[in-house]
Amino acid sequence: MSADKAGASYEVLSPWAEADPKQLNGISPRLADLAGKKIGLLCNNKRAAPLILDVTERLLKERYPTCQTSRFNSRSFSVSSLEPDRKGEFEDWIKGVDAVVAAVGD
Amino acid sequence: MYDAIFIEEHDTPTVTFAFEYFLNDSMSAASSRGMPVVRVVPEAIVSECTVVETIDNAITAVFDDMVAALTKPLTADEKAPKPREPENPPRVVFKGNLEEVNRFFYQRGWTDGLPVIPPTEEAVAEMLAGTDLPADHLVEKLEPRLGKATVERIAINAVMAGCLPTCMPLLIAGVQALAASPVCGMMAASTGSFSPFWLVNGPVAKDVGVRSTYGATNPGDIANASIGRALGLITKNGRGVRKQIEDMGVLGNPGKYTWVAAENEENSPWEPFHVDCGFKKEDSAITLMFPQSFQQMMPFGTDDKGILATIVGSIVPARMGSFAVLLTPTNAGSLANGGWSKKAVKDYIVENTIVPDDYFSRLGLKADKPFDRGNVTGPGRGPKIFYPNPRDPDPARVFVFGGFGSWMGFIQGGPPPITRKVELPANWAQLIKKYKNVVPTYARY
Repeated sequence: MSADKAGASYEVLSPWAEADPKQLNGISPRLADLAGKKIGLLCNNKRAAPLILDVTERLLKERYPTCQTSRFNSRSFSVSSLEPDRKGEFEDWIKGVDAVVAAVGD
Repeated sequence: MYDAIFIEEHDTPTVTFAFEYFLNDSMSAASSRGMPVVRVVPEAIVSECTVVETIDNAITAVFDDMVAALTKPLTADEKAPKPREPENPPRVVFKGNLEEVNRFFYQRGWTDGLPVIPPTEEAVAEMLAGTDLPADHLVEKLEPRLGKATVERIAINAVMAGCLPTCMPLLIAGVQALAASPVCGMMAASTGSFSPFWLVNGPVAKDVGVRSTYGATNPGDIANASIGRALGLITKNGRGVRKQIEDMGVLGNPGKYTWVAAENEENSPWEPFHVDCGFKKEDSAITLMFPQSFQQMMPFGTDDKGILATIVGSIVPARMGSFAVLLTPTNAGSLANGGWSKKAVKDYIVENTIVPDDYFSRLGLKADKPFDRGNVTGPGRGPKIFYPNPRDPDPARVFVFGGFGSWMGFIQGGPPPITRKVELPANWAQLIKKYKNVVPTYARY
Protein backbone atom coordinates (compact mmCIF):
# COMPACT_ATOMS: atom_id res chain seq x y z
CA MET A 1 0.00 0.00 0.00
CA SER A 2 1.21 3.49 -0.83
CA ALA A 3 -0.26 6.93 -0.46
CA ASP A 4 -1.06 8.94 -3.56
CA LYS A 5 0.49 12.34 -4.33
CA ALA A 6 -1.85 14.02 -1.88
CA GLY A 7 -0.83 11.49 0.77
CA ALA A 8 -4.23 9.85 0.80
CA SER A 9 -4.89 6.20 1.31
CA TYR A 10 -8.25 4.57 1.54
CA GLU A 11 -9.52 1.64 3.55
CA VAL A 12 -12.41 0.42 1.44
CA LEU A 13 -15.46 -1.77 1.95
CA SER A 14 -16.40 -4.68 -0.28
CA PRO A 15 -19.14 -4.03 -2.86
CA TRP A 16 -19.61 -7.76 -3.49
CA ALA A 17 -22.86 -8.81 -1.83
CA GLU A 18 -22.80 -11.61 0.65
CA ALA A 19 -24.77 -14.71 -0.22
CA ASP A 20 -25.93 -17.45 2.09
CA PRO A 21 -24.08 -20.73 1.71
CA LYS A 22 -26.12 -23.00 -0.50
CA GLN A 23 -27.06 -26.58 0.16
CA LEU A 24 -25.30 -28.29 -2.71
CA ASN A 25 -26.88 -31.30 -4.33
CA GLY A 26 -25.44 -33.94 -6.61
CA ILE A 27 -27.05 -35.16 -9.77
CA SER A 28 -29.06 -38.32 -10.29
CA PRO A 29 -27.47 -41.68 -11.05
CA ARG A 30 -27.13 -42.29 -14.78
CA LEU A 31 -28.74 -44.99 -16.86
CA ALA A 32 -26.80 -48.12 -17.83
CA ASP A 33 -28.00 -47.88 -21.41
CA LEU A 34 -30.54 -45.90 -23.43
CA ALA A 35 -31.90 -48.97 -25.25
CA GLY A 36 -35.54 -49.57 -24.37
CA LYS A 37 -35.75 -46.37 -22.35
CA LYS A 38 -38.18 -43.48 -22.67
CA ILE A 39 -36.22 -40.26 -23.19
CA GLY A 40 -37.87 -36.93 -22.49
CA LEU A 41 -37.07 -34.08 -24.85
CA LEU A 42 -37.49 -30.72 -23.12
CA CYS A 43 -37.81 -27.75 -25.41
CA ASN A 44 -37.84 -24.11 -24.27
CA ASN A 45 -39.25 -21.27 -26.39
CA LYS A 46 -36.05 -20.27 -28.12
CA ARG A 47 -36.30 -21.06 -31.77
CA ALA A 48 -33.24 -23.30 -32.12
CA ALA A 49 -34.50 -25.60 -29.35
CA PRO A 50 -37.12 -27.61 -31.29
CA LEU A 51 -34.77 -28.00 -34.23
CA ILE A 52 -32.04 -29.34 -31.92
CA LEU A 53 -34.48 -31.85 -30.49
CA ASP A 54 -35.70 -32.93 -33.93
CA VAL A 55 -32.16 -34.01 -34.76
CA THR A 56 -31.66 -35.57 -31.33
CA GLU A 57 -34.85 -37.60 -31.66
CA ARG A 58 -33.89 -38.85 -35.12
CA LEU A 59 -30.40 -39.89 -34.01
CA LEU A 60 -31.71 -41.56 -30.86
CA LYS A 61 -34.15 -43.68 -32.83
CA GLU A 62 -31.51 -44.58 -35.41
CA ARG A 63 -29.09 -45.82 -32.75
CA TYR A 64 -31.61 -47.16 -30.25
CA PRO A 65 -34.63 -48.45 -32.21
CA THR A 66 -36.33 -49.57 -28.99
CA CYS A 67 -35.96 -46.16 -27.40
CA GLN A 68 -39.11 -44.05 -27.04
CA THR A 69 -39.30 -40.27 -26.80
CA SER A 70 -41.69 -37.77 -25.26
CA ARG A 71 -41.65 -34.01 -25.75
CA PHE A 72 -42.47 -31.21 -23.33
CA ASN A 73 -42.63 -27.73 -24.80
CA SER A 74 -42.06 -24.79 -22.48
CA ARG A 75 -43.82 -21.54 -23.28
CA SER A 76 -40.94 -19.57 -21.77
CA PHE A 77 -37.24 -19.87 -20.97
CA SER A 78 -38.04 -22.13 -18.02
CA VAL A 79 -41.13 -24.09 -17.02
CA SER A 80 -40.07 -24.48 -13.40
CA SER A 81 -39.24 -20.78 -12.88
CA LEU A 82 -41.73 -18.95 -15.06
CA GLU A 83 -44.76 -21.21 -15.53
CA PRO A 84 -46.07 -22.00 -12.04
CA ASP A 85 -49.44 -22.99 -13.49
CA ARG A 86 -47.78 -25.91 -15.32
CA LYS A 87 -45.71 -27.30 -12.45
CA GLY A 88 -47.96 -30.34 -11.93
CA GLU A 89 -48.10 -31.11 -15.62
CA PHE A 90 -44.31 -30.82 -15.79
CA GLU A 91 -43.79 -33.12 -12.81
CA ASP A 92 -46.14 -35.71 -14.28
CA TRP A 93 -44.17 -35.63 -17.51
CA ILE A 94 -40.88 -36.09 -15.66
CA LYS A 95 -42.29 -39.12 -13.82
CA GLY A 96 -43.12 -40.69 -17.16
CA VAL A 97 -39.60 -40.63 -18.62
CA ASP A 98 -36.31 -42.35 -17.72
CA ALA A 99 -34.00 -39.46 -18.63
CA VAL A 100 -34.24 -36.01 -20.21
CA VAL A 101 -32.38 -34.20 -22.97
CA ALA A 102 -32.95 -30.45 -22.69
CA ALA A 103 -32.41 -27.91 -25.43
CA VAL A 104 -32.36 -24.28 -24.37
CA GLY A 105 -31.53 -22.68 -27.71
CA ASP A 106 -28.53 -20.82 -26.25
CA MET B 1 -30.50 -24.77 -16.56
CA TYR B 2 -33.17 -24.20 -13.94
CA ASP B 3 -35.37 -26.84 -15.56
CA ALA B 4 -32.47 -29.30 -15.77
CA ILE B 5 -31.92 -28.87 -12.02
CA PHE B 6 -35.62 -29.25 -11.34
CA ILE B 7 -35.63 -32.53 -13.27
CA GLU B 8 -32.47 -33.80 -11.52
CA GLU B 9 -34.15 -32.99 -8.21
CA HIS B 10 -36.91 -35.34 -9.33
CA ASP B 11 -34.37 -38.19 -9.56
CA THR B 12 -34.19 -38.17 -13.32
CA PRO B 13 -30.86 -37.94 -15.16
CA THR B 14 -30.66 -34.95 -17.46
CA VAL B 15 -28.32 -33.47 -20.00
CA THR B 16 -28.59 -30.03 -21.54
CA PHE B 17 -27.31 -28.91 -24.92
CA ALA B 18 -25.76 -25.43 -24.67
CA PHE B 19 -23.91 -23.26 -27.15
CA GLU B 20 -20.19 -23.62 -26.39
CA TYR B 21 -19.83 -19.92 -25.46
CA PHE B 22 -22.53 -20.37 -22.81
CA LEU B 23 -20.73 -22.91 -20.63
CA ASN B 24 -19.76 -20.36 -17.96
CA ASP B 25 -23.26 -18.96 -18.00
CA SER B 26 -24.79 -22.43 -17.70
CA MET B 27 -22.59 -23.44 -14.81
CA SER B 28 -23.15 -20.15 -12.94
CA ALA B 29 -26.89 -20.69 -13.30
CA ALA B 30 -26.52 -24.24 -12.02
CA SER B 31 -24.37 -23.15 -9.07
CA SER B 32 -26.85 -20.43 -8.16
CA ARG B 33 -29.50 -23.13 -7.70
CA GLY B 34 -27.23 -25.38 -5.64
CA MET B 35 -26.32 -27.94 -8.29
CA PRO B 36 -22.93 -26.97 -9.76
CA VAL B 37 -22.32 -30.34 -11.41
CA VAL B 38 -25.18 -30.64 -13.90
CA ARG B 39 -24.09 -32.22 -17.14
CA VAL B 40 -23.95 -29.93 -20.13
CA VAL B 41 -22.93 -30.85 -23.67
CA PRO B 42 -21.42 -27.89 -25.49
CA GLU B 43 -22.39 -27.58 -29.14
CA ALA B 44 -21.69 -25.14 -31.95
CA ILE B 45 -25.18 -23.76 -32.53
CA VAL B 46 -25.32 -19.99 -32.25
CA SER B 47 -28.22 -18.63 -30.19
CA GLU B 48 -31.44 -18.17 -32.17
CA CYS B 49 -30.04 -20.18 -35.13
CA THR B 50 -32.72 -21.29 -37.61
CA VAL B 51 -30.50 -23.05 -40.17
CA VAL B 52 -31.49 -26.73 -40.05
CA GLU B 53 -28.33 -28.04 -41.72
CA THR B 54 -26.08 -26.24 -39.22
CA ILE B 55 -28.07 -27.66 -36.32
CA ASP B 56 -28.07 -31.16 -37.80
CA ASN B 57 -24.28 -31.14 -38.21
CA ALA B 58 -23.66 -29.67 -34.77
CA ILE B 59 -25.86 -32.15 -32.89
CA THR B 60 -24.56 -35.11 -34.90
CA ALA B 61 -21.02 -34.07 -33.89
CA VAL B 62 -21.81 -34.21 -30.17
CA PHE B 63 -24.39 -36.99 -30.11
CA ASP B 64 -21.95 -39.44 -28.46
CA ASP B 65 -21.21 -36.84 -25.77
CA MET B 66 -24.94 -36.57 -25.09
CA VAL B 67 -25.27 -40.36 -24.75
CA ALA B 68 -22.25 -40.42 -22.43
CA ALA B 69 -23.74 -37.65 -20.28
CA LEU B 70 -26.78 -39.85 -19.65
CA THR B 71 -24.89 -43.11 -19.13
CA LYS B 72 -21.40 -42.44 -17.74
CA PRO B 73 -21.29 -43.17 -13.98
CA LEU B 74 -21.09 -40.22 -11.61
CA THR B 75 -17.82 -38.96 -10.18
CA ALA B 76 -17.42 -38.37 -6.46
CA ASP B 77 -17.87 -34.60 -6.99
CA GLU B 78 -21.03 -35.16 -9.02
CA LYS B 79 -22.46 -37.21 -6.16
CA ALA B 80 -21.48 -34.71 -3.44
CA PRO B 81 -20.29 -31.44 -4.97
CA LYS B 82 -17.93 -29.01 -3.28
CA PRO B 83 -18.68 -25.24 -3.20
CA ARG B 84 -17.54 -23.32 -6.29
CA GLU B 85 -17.66 -19.76 -4.99
CA PRO B 86 -14.92 -18.69 -2.57
CA GLU B 87 -16.02 -17.43 0.82
CA ASN B 88 -17.53 -13.98 1.00
CA PRO B 89 -14.80 -11.31 1.11
CA PRO B 90 -14.26 -9.48 4.39
CA ARG B 91 -16.18 -6.23 4.93
CA VAL B 92 -12.98 -4.13 4.78
CA VAL B 93 -11.49 -5.54 1.66
CA PHE B 94 -8.44 -3.43 0.78
CA LYS B 95 -6.31 -0.45 1.72
CA GLY B 96 -4.44 1.61 -0.84
CA ASN B 97 -4.21 4.85 -2.73
CA LEU B 98 -6.75 5.91 -5.34
CA GLU B 99 -5.06 4.12 -8.18
CA GLU B 100 -4.49 0.95 -6.17
CA VAL B 101 -8.08 0.82 -4.97
CA ASN B 102 -9.33 1.23 -8.51
CA ARG B 103 -7.01 -1.43 -9.85
CA PHE B 104 -7.98 -3.84 -7.04
CA PHE B 105 -11.70 -3.38 -7.73
CA TYR B 106 -11.31 -3.53 -11.50
CA GLN B 107 -9.25 -6.73 -11.40
CA ARG B 108 -11.94 -8.43 -9.34
CA GLY B 109 -14.60 -7.49 -11.87
CA TRP B 110 -16.41 -5.16 -9.46
CA THR B 111 -16.55 -2.05 -11.68
CA ASP B 112 -18.06 -1.04 -15.01
CA GLY B 113 -14.61 -0.19 -16.36
CA LEU B 114 -14.74 3.44 -15.32
CA PRO B 115 -12.89 4.67 -12.21
CA VAL B 116 -14.82 4.52 -8.96
CA ILE B 117 -14.92 6.60 -5.80
CA PRO B 118 -13.32 4.58 -2.96
CA PRO B 119 -16.11 3.32 -0.66
CA THR B 120 -14.52 4.15 2.66
CA GLU B 121 -16.26 3.77 5.98
CA GLU B 122 -16.73 7.56 6.12
CA ALA B 123 -18.12 7.87 2.58
CA VAL B 124 -20.52 4.98 3.12
CA ALA B 125 -21.68 6.50 6.43
CA GLU B 126 -22.49 9.74 4.63
CA MET B 127 -24.38 7.80 1.94
CA LEU B 128 -26.42 6.05 4.63
CA ALA B 129 -27.74 9.46 5.71
CA GLY B 130 -30.04 9.10 2.68
CA THR B 131 -32.23 6.50 4.35
CA ASP B 132 -33.83 5.77 7.70
CA LEU B 133 -33.34 2.05 7.20
CA PRO B 134 -30.55 0.39 9.21
CA ALA B 135 -27.39 -0.52 7.34
CA ASP B 136 -27.96 -4.24 7.76
CA HIS B 137 -31.55 -4.12 6.52
CA LEU B 138 -32.00 -6.60 3.68
CA VAL B 139 -33.76 -4.86 0.80
CA GLU B 140 -33.76 -7.82 -1.58
CA LYS B 141 -31.84 -10.92 -2.60
CA LEU B 142 -31.04 -10.60 -6.28
CA GLU B 143 -31.25 -13.58 -8.61
CA PRO B 144 -29.45 -15.49 -9.95
CA ARG B 145 -26.66 -15.36 -7.36
CA LEU B 146 -29.04 -14.36 -4.56
CA GLY B 147 -26.56 -11.74 -3.35
CA LYS B 148 -27.93 -9.80 -0.40
CA ALA B 149 -28.65 -6.22 -1.40
CA THR B 150 -28.52 -4.79 2.10
CA VAL B 151 -28.80 -1.06 2.64
CA GLU B 152 -25.07 -0.91 3.33
CA ARG B 153 -24.17 -2.85 0.20
CA ILE B 154 -26.38 -0.54 -1.85
CA ALA B 155 -24.62 2.44 -0.25
CA ILE B 156 -21.17 1.02 -1.01
CA ASN B 157 -22.01 0.65 -4.68
CA ALA B 158 -23.63 4.10 -4.63
CA VAL B 159 -20.42 5.66 -3.34
CA MET B 160 -18.45 3.90 -6.06
CA ALA B 161 -20.84 5.26 -8.70
CA GLY B 162 -20.56 8.84 -7.44
CA CYS B 163 -24.08 9.17 -6.00
CA LEU B 164 -25.09 11.82 -3.50
CA PRO B 165 -26.87 10.53 -0.38
CA THR B 166 -30.11 11.96 -1.77
CA CYS B 167 -30.02 9.17 -4.37
CA MET B 168 -30.44 6.45 -1.75
CA PRO B 169 -34.27 6.42 -1.68
CA LEU B 170 -34.31 5.97 -5.45
CA LEU B 171 -31.67 3.24 -5.30
CA ILE B 172 -33.56 1.29 -2.65
CA ALA B 173 -36.77 1.46 -4.69
CA GLY B 174 -34.75 0.59 -7.78
CA VAL B 175 -33.38 -2.55 -6.13
CA GLN B 176 -36.95 -3.52 -5.20
CA ALA B 177 -37.88 -3.15 -8.87
CA LEU B 178 -34.88 -5.24 -9.95
CA ALA B 179 -36.13 -8.05 -7.72
CA ALA B 180 -39.78 -7.81 -8.76
CA SER B 181 -39.63 -10.76 -11.12
CA PRO B 182 -37.24 -13.58 -12.08
CA VAL B 183 -37.48 -12.14 -15.59
CA CYS B 184 -35.44 -9.10 -14.44
CA GLY B 185 -32.47 -11.36 -13.75
CA MET B 186 -32.89 -12.95 -17.15
CA MET B 187 -32.98 -9.53 -18.80
CA ALA B 188 -29.63 -8.68 -17.23
CA ALA B 189 -28.09 -11.82 -18.69
CA SER B 190 -29.87 -12.12 -22.03
CA THR B 191 -28.25 -12.28 -25.45
CA GLY B 192 -30.67 -9.47 -26.33
CA SER B 193 -28.61 -6.91 -24.35
CA PHE B 194 -31.64 -5.49 -22.58
CA SER B 195 -30.63 -2.40 -20.62
CA PRO B 196 -32.42 -1.01 -17.59
CA PHE B 197 -34.15 2.28 -18.35
CA TRP B 198 -35.22 4.18 -15.24
CA LEU B 199 -38.05 6.75 -15.28
CA VAL B 200 -38.40 8.91 -12.18
CA ASN B 201 -41.70 10.53 -11.25
CA GLY B 202 -42.95 12.76 -8.48
CA PRO B 203 -41.36 15.41 -6.28
CA VAL B 204 -38.21 13.35 -5.66
CA ALA B 205 -37.08 14.08 -9.22
CA LYS B 206 -36.63 17.81 -8.57
CA ASP B 207 -35.38 17.23 -5.03
CA VAL B 208 -32.57 15.03 -6.26
CA GLY B 209 -31.98 16.85 -9.53
CA VAL B 210 -32.94 14.08 -11.94
CA ARG B 211 -33.04 15.85 -15.29
CA SER B 212 -36.32 15.83 -17.19
CA THR B 213 -35.69 18.50 -19.80
CA TYR B 214 -33.11 19.07 -22.55
CA GLY B 215 -30.79 16.10 -22.91
CA ALA B 216 -32.47 14.24 -20.08
CA THR B 217 -30.55 11.06 -20.84
CA ASN B 218 -27.33 12.81 -21.89
CA PRO B 219 -24.26 12.76 -19.64
CA GLY B 220 -23.75 15.75 -17.34
CA ASP B 221 -26.13 15.45 -14.38
CA ILE B 222 -24.93 13.72 -11.26
CA ALA B 223 -28.30 12.11 -10.47
CA ASN B 224 -29.01 10.74 -13.95
CA ALA B 225 -25.40 9.62 -14.31
CA SER B 226 -24.90 8.01 -10.94
CA ILE B 227 -28.29 6.41 -10.20
CA GLY B 228 -28.23 4.20 -13.28
CA ARG B 229 -24.55 3.53 -12.77
CA ALA B 230 -25.05 2.45 -9.16
CA LEU B 231 -27.90 0.13 -10.11
CA GLY B 232 -25.65 -1.31 -12.83
CA LEU B 233 -22.92 -1.96 -10.27
CA ILE B 234 -25.49 -3.59 -7.98
CA THR B 235 -26.55 -5.81 -10.88
CA LYS B 236 -22.93 -6.88 -11.16
CA ASN B 237 -21.97 -7.09 -7.49
CA GLY B 238 -25.28 -8.20 -6.01
CA ARG B 239 -27.02 -10.10 -8.77
CA GLY B 240 -23.69 -11.50 -9.87
CA VAL B 241 -24.21 -10.83 -13.58
CA ARG B 242 -20.83 -10.17 -15.20
CA LYS B 243 -19.97 -9.61 -18.86
CA GLN B 244 -19.58 -12.82 -20.88
CA ILE B 245 -19.83 -14.91 -17.73
CA GLU B 246 -23.52 -14.48 -16.96
CA ASP B 247 -24.33 -11.44 -19.13
CA MET B 248 -24.32 -12.94 -22.61
CA GLY B 249 -25.54 -9.81 -24.40
CA VAL B 250 -24.32 -10.16 -27.97
CA LEU B 251 -24.12 -6.56 -29.18
CA GLY B 252 -24.17 -5.03 -25.70
CA ASN B 253 -25.96 -1.83 -24.82
CA PRO B 254 -24.48 1.55 -23.79
CA GLY B 255 -27.57 2.11 -21.64
CA LYS B 256 -26.10 -0.34 -19.15
CA TYR B 257 -23.69 2.40 -17.99
CA THR B 258 -26.67 4.52 -17.00
CA TRP B 259 -30.04 5.39 -18.57
CA VAL B 260 -32.18 7.58 -16.36
CA ALA B 261 -34.68 10.38 -16.96
CA ALA B 262 -37.40 12.09 -15.00
CA GLU B 263 -40.73 12.74 -16.64
CA ASN B 264 -41.18 16.40 -17.54
CA GLU B 265 -44.32 16.58 -15.46
CA GLU B 266 -44.63 20.33 -15.23
CA ASN B 267 -44.68 20.72 -19.01
CA SER B 268 -46.72 17.66 -19.87
CA PRO B 269 -50.41 18.16 -20.65
CA TRP B 270 -51.24 14.75 -19.17
CA GLU B 271 -51.07 13.01 -15.82
CA PRO B 272 -47.62 11.58 -15.13
CA PHE B 273 -46.82 7.93 -15.70
CA HIS B 274 -46.84 6.93 -12.02
CA VAL B 275 -50.40 8.25 -11.75
CA ASP B 276 -51.29 5.94 -14.68
CA CYS B 277 -49.90 3.15 -12.48
CA GLY B 278 -52.19 4.01 -9.58
CA PHE B 279 -49.91 6.19 -7.46
CA LYS B 280 -50.85 9.64 -6.22
CA LYS B 281 -49.41 12.61 -8.02
CA GLU B 282 -47.60 13.70 -4.85
CA ASP B 283 -46.00 10.26 -4.49
CA SER B 284 -42.54 9.66 -5.85
CA ALA B 285 -41.85 6.55 -7.89
CA ILE B 286 -39.24 4.90 -10.05
CA THR B 287 -40.12 2.78 -13.07
CA LEU B 288 -37.93 0.10 -14.62
CA MET B 289 -38.07 -1.07 -18.23
CA PHE B 290 -35.56 -3.23 -20.10
CA PRO B 291 -35.40 -1.84 -23.65
CA GLN B 292 -33.11 -3.37 -26.19
CA SER B 293 -33.26 -0.37 -28.45
CA PHE B 294 -33.68 3.39 -28.62
CA GLN B 295 -34.82 5.00 -31.84
CA GLN B 296 -35.23 8.73 -32.52
CA MET B 297 -37.34 10.21 -35.31
CA MET B 298 -38.19 13.58 -36.79
CA PRO B 299 -41.98 13.55 -37.15
CA PHE B 300 -43.53 13.85 -40.61
CA GLY B 301 -45.32 16.90 -39.24
CA THR B 302 -45.45 18.56 -35.84
CA ASP B 303 -49.25 18.59 -35.58
CA ASP B 304 -51.16 15.68 -34.07
CA LYS B 305 -51.63 13.97 -37.42
CA GLY B 306 -47.93 14.14 -38.28
CA ILE B 307 -46.82 12.86 -34.88
CA LEU B 308 -49.25 9.92 -34.83
CA ALA B 309 -48.39 8.96 -38.41
CA THR B 310 -44.72 8.93 -37.50
CA ILE B 311 -45.35 6.64 -34.55
CA VAL B 312 -47.49 4.03 -36.29
CA GLY B 313 -45.44 4.22 -39.48
CA SER B 314 -42.07 3.70 -37.80
CA ILE B 315 -42.66 0.71 -35.53
CA VAL B 316 -40.97 -2.24 -37.18
CA PRO B 317 -42.63 -5.68 -37.43
CA ALA B 318 -39.52 -7.50 -36.13
CA ARG B 319 -39.79 -5.71 -32.79
CA MET B 320 -40.13 -7.56 -29.48
CA GLY B 321 -41.32 -6.87 -25.96
CA SER B 322 -42.70 -3.81 -24.24
CA PHE B 323 -42.92 -0.48 -26.00
CA ALA B 324 -42.92 3.16 -24.99
CA VAL B 325 -43.11 6.23 -27.17
CA LEU B 326 -40.98 9.10 -25.88
CA LEU B 327 -42.61 12.45 -26.50
CA THR B 328 -41.21 15.85 -25.74
CA PRO B 329 -43.52 18.32 -24.02
CA THR B 330 -43.89 19.94 -27.44
CA ASN B 331 -45.07 16.72 -29.07
CA ALA B 332 -47.42 15.97 -26.17
CA GLY B 333 -48.75 19.51 -26.27
CA SER B 334 -49.52 19.23 -29.99
CA LEU B 335 -51.45 16.02 -29.38
CA ALA B 336 -53.34 17.49 -26.43
CA ASN B 337 -54.19 20.58 -28.50
CA GLY B 338 -55.65 18.22 -31.09
CA GLY B 339 -57.92 16.76 -28.43
CA TRP B 340 -55.90 13.62 -27.71
CA SER B 341 -55.75 12.20 -24.21
CA LYS B 342 -52.84 9.94 -23.35
CA LYS B 343 -55.17 6.93 -23.39
CA ALA B 344 -56.49 7.90 -26.81
CA VAL B 345 -52.92 8.10 -28.12
CA LYS B 346 -52.14 4.63 -26.74
CA ASP B 347 -55.32 3.15 -28.17
CA TYR B 348 -54.54 4.73 -31.54
CA ILE B 349 -51.09 3.15 -31.57
CA VAL B 350 -52.46 -0.31 -30.73
CA GLU B 351 -55.26 -0.12 -33.29
CA ASN B 352 -53.37 1.44 -36.17
CA THR B 353 -49.87 0.03 -36.11
CA ILE B 354 -50.23 -2.62 -38.80
CA VAL B 355 -48.14 -4.60 -41.24
CA PRO B 356 -49.08 -4.01 -44.91
CA ASP B 357 -50.67 -7.03 -46.61
CA ASP B 358 -47.69 -7.61 -48.87
CA TYR B 359 -45.00 -6.87 -46.29
CA PHE B 360 -43.70 -10.41 -45.86
CA SER B 361 -44.14 -11.53 -49.46
CA ARG B 362 -42.14 -8.51 -50.69
CA LEU B 363 -39.34 -9.65 -48.39
CA GLY B 364 -39.46 -13.15 -49.88
CA LEU B 365 -40.71 -14.67 -46.63
CA LYS B 366 -43.39 -17.31 -46.36
CA ALA B 367 -44.29 -16.88 -42.73
CA ASP B 368 -47.64 -18.39 -41.88
CA LYS B 369 -47.19 -17.94 -38.14
CA PRO B 370 -45.36 -15.55 -35.82
CA PHE B 371 -41.61 -15.67 -36.47
CA ASP B 372 -40.56 -15.91 -32.84
CA ARG B 373 -41.90 -15.84 -29.30
CA GLY B 374 -41.65 -12.05 -29.20
CA ASN B 375 -42.38 -11.17 -32.80
CA VAL B 376 -46.10 -11.62 -32.74
CA THR B 377 -46.50 -10.50 -36.32
CA GLY B 378 -46.99 -12.78 -39.28
CA PRO B 379 -49.57 -13.35 -42.00
CA GLY B 380 -51.30 -15.99 -39.88
CA ARG B 381 -51.84 -13.53 -37.08
CA GLY B 382 -53.45 -10.57 -38.78
CA PRO B 383 -52.16 -7.14 -39.63
CA LYS B 384 -51.63 -5.69 -36.15
CA ILE B 385 -48.31 -5.39 -34.37
CA PHE B 386 -49.62 -4.86 -30.83
CA TYR B 387 -51.91 -7.39 -29.16
CA PRO B 388 -52.94 -6.59 -25.58
CA ASN B 389 -52.72 -9.78 -23.54
CA PRO B 390 -52.81 -10.85 -19.88
CA ARG B 391 -49.03 -10.47 -19.59
CA ASP B 392 -49.05 -7.00 -21.12
CA PRO B 393 -52.59 -5.58 -21.24
CA ASP B 394 -51.31 -2.09 -22.02
CA PRO B 395 -48.60 -2.72 -24.63
CA ALA B 396 -48.02 0.89 -25.70
CA ARG B 397 -46.84 3.38 -23.09
CA VAL B 398 -46.26 7.11 -23.36
CA PHE B 399 -43.47 8.88 -21.49
CA VAL B 400 -43.05 12.65 -21.70
CA PHE B 401 -39.57 14.03 -21.17
CA GLY B 402 -36.91 16.09 -22.87
CA GLY B 403 -36.69 19.72 -23.92
CA PHE B 404 -38.97 21.72 -26.20
CA GLY B 405 -38.42 20.25 -29.63
CA SER B 406 -39.84 17.96 -32.25
CA TRP B 407 -37.56 14.93 -32.15
CA MET B 408 -39.34 11.97 -30.64
CA GLY B 409 -38.36 8.41 -29.81
CA PHE B 410 -39.20 4.81 -29.05
CA ILE B 411 -37.78 2.44 -26.52
CA GLN B 412 -38.75 -1.18 -26.79
CA GLY B 413 -37.99 -4.60 -25.41
CA GLY B 414 -38.36 -6.65 -22.27
CA PRO B 415 -41.21 -7.25 -19.86
CA PRO B 416 -43.86 -4.67 -18.96
CA PRO B 417 -42.62 -1.76 -16.81
CA ILE B 418 -42.22 -2.24 -13.07
CA THR B 419 -42.93 0.77 -10.83
CA ARG B 420 -42.04 1.09 -7.17
CA LYS B 421 -42.86 3.88 -4.70
CA VAL B 422 -39.89 5.85 -3.37
CA GLU B 423 -39.90 6.19 0.43
CA LEU B 424 -38.14 9.27 1.77
CA PRO B 425 -36.32 9.54 5.11
CA ALA B 426 -37.64 11.78 7.90
CA ASN B 427 -34.81 14.28 7.44
CA TRP B 428 -35.46 14.66 3.72
CA ALA B 429 -35.88 18.45 3.78
CA GLN B 430 -32.54 18.98 5.51
CA LEU B 431 -30.86 16.46 3.25
CA ILE B 432 -31.90 18.07 -0.01
CA LYS B 433 -30.96 21.47 1.39
CA LYS B 434 -27.48 20.17 2.21
CA TYR B 435 -26.82 18.94 -1.34
CA LYS B 436 -28.89 21.38 -3.41
CA ASN B 437 -25.85 23.35 -4.52
CA VAL B 438 -24.09 20.33 -5.93
CA VAL B 439 -24.97 21.30 -9.50
CA PRO B 440 -22.79 22.25 -12.46
CA THR B 441 -22.36 25.95 -13.20
CA TYR B 442 -21.24 26.43 -16.77
CA ALA B 443 -19.10 29.48 -17.54
CA ARG B 444 -20.07 31.23 -20.78
CA TYR B 445 -17.42 31.57 -23.48
